[in-house]
Amino acid sequence: MTTLVFARDRRDSLLAGALPRFVAAGWVLFLGLPIAALLVRAATVGRFDDAAAGRAVLDALVLSLVTTAISLGLAVLFGLPVAWLLARRPPRGAVLLETLIDLPIVLPPSVAGLALLLVFGRQGVLGGPLAAMGFSIPFSTIAVIIAQTFVAAPFFIRAARAGLRSVHRDLEDAARVDGGGEVAVALSVTLPLAAPALAAGLVMAWARALGEFGATIMFAGNLEGRTQTLPLLVYSEFQASSDAAVVAASILVVAAFGVLLGVRLARRGSVTELGGAG
Amino acid sequence: MLVAASALLAAGCGHAAPPTTLTVLAAASLRDAFRAAATAYASTHPGIGLTFSFDASSALRAQVEQGAPADVFASADVANPDQLVSAGRTIGPATPFAGNRLALIVPAANPAGIAAPADLARPGVALLTASANVPIAIYAMRVIANLAAEPGAPAGFAAAVERNIVSREDNAAAVVAKVVLGEADAAFVYATDARAAGAAVRSIPLPDRVNVTAAYAAVVARQAHDPAAAAAFVAWLAGADGRSVLAPFGFAPPP
Repeated sequence: MTTLVFARDRRDSLLAGALPRFVAAGWVLFLGLPIAALLVRAATVGRFDDAAAGRAVLDALVLSLVTTAISLGLAVLFGLPVAWLLARRPPRGAVLLETLIDLPIVLPPSVAGLALLLVFGRQGVLGGPLAAMGFSIPFSTIAVIIAQTFVAAPFFIRAARAGLRSVHRDLEDAARVDGGGEVAVALSVTLPLAAPALAAGLVMAWARALGEFGATIMFAGNLEGRTQTLPLLVYSEFQASSDAAVVAASILVVAAFGVLLGVRLARRGSVTELGGAG
Repeated sequence: MLVAASALLAAGCGHAAPPTTLTVLAAASLRDAFRAAATAYASTHPGIGLTFSFDASSALRAQVEQGAPADVFASADVANPDQLVSAGRTIGPATPFAGNRLALIVPAANPAGIAAPADLARPGVALLTASANVPIAIYAMRVIANLAAEPGAPAGFAAAVERNIVSREDNAAAVVAKVVLGEADAAFVYATDARAAGAAVRSIPLPDRVNVTAAYAAVVARQAHDPAAAAAFVAWLAGADGRSVLAPFGFAPPP
């Protein structure tokens, strides 16, 4: 009898402690090894002998930072009102609308790139008339921003929608009783309470925009300084067997890790959990 | 779910699977010709199947270097296979098997009104090419240099043309696709691709003296799982049978 109990205890402790730890260690290796290999390779590259490749990396870094910043701005500008509407005044057919808004999250980026080309390309529904006016979108930095906004904004809208929904109406009502107007209530109560979720959404959207590759290369093309963002540079330089690919890839890894870690630390102690799952 | 997936897998690779399947990494410009070659090869070599991966020769060369599963690498130039040969990553030397020329194409509507290669230097022309190390881009730069060296060519012609490059695409096929779509005003592409694009594009006459010849060469990768079968395919490709399959697509014998 006692041996049976002991056996069960041992089995339970194995299932609860040792086994998950063992699996987790394997998973960490699976994730960590490729990243470590990349960073070690980049560290051994040392100084760039190739000045042209060095400039290309710098150009791509600046372009990535500028375009993702603008894309993020657009995601907030258009995404926040959409999220507000869905959270507070869902129109008829909100389910369909939400599905459409989420669609770019699951679409392969190449599909997004092709679709954007068919709309904004020189023969496209909107791009055609624009081209006739002498304004061509493909192969421009604007195309990079359109592609990034298209694929990344849904991550922000999703998180913002969930965050806004989680703010208790009672708190807003209390502020209204105190004489706050709708805008004042939104600015002083709703948005601050939803801020952690909005920030989480921003980070996810930024990470997606920074990593955007497929839609960009199909729709915006690949030109140094104009449309060649860091992920495109990694791909191009890899073909040239250049060290620049490893350096640029490492910059992406460090930047992404740094931002995720930074947000995690900044949010420490904050009560609301990540709103991204909404 | 799992049963359905495994049934699908079985259907995908099970039906009359040839005992030997050669993985051929081939230049994007070989796509149509090699698909025809696979049919021709299968009829005379039962038991040998061919699967392809088409991309820029430079990208494929990098894949072979990284140890990608490959039996044969067929490149749109000699430099990329030679690089593998001298790095000891092949079995045997590179075998030239075809030749190609370049063509200057514009969309059928010719939005930039290009009538001659000289028009490529006009400001605002959206010229498309591939990444600098992709063979089609290297050949295109040679043609541009030849045009610039022509008597009567304006000073700074090559620089003006290069300023008009709006994008460097993955490979030669992507360049053709975007001209067909009308997204770019002009591009130097392989003559075989210009021919395959048909009425969707228009070819601007390019004098023979400024044109260049592309030499295509194939190698057997060191990691080939069946080196003998791979070498036999390369020999077939470079021989009379291979040439008669490639010729209808516009490929010439190797220069």
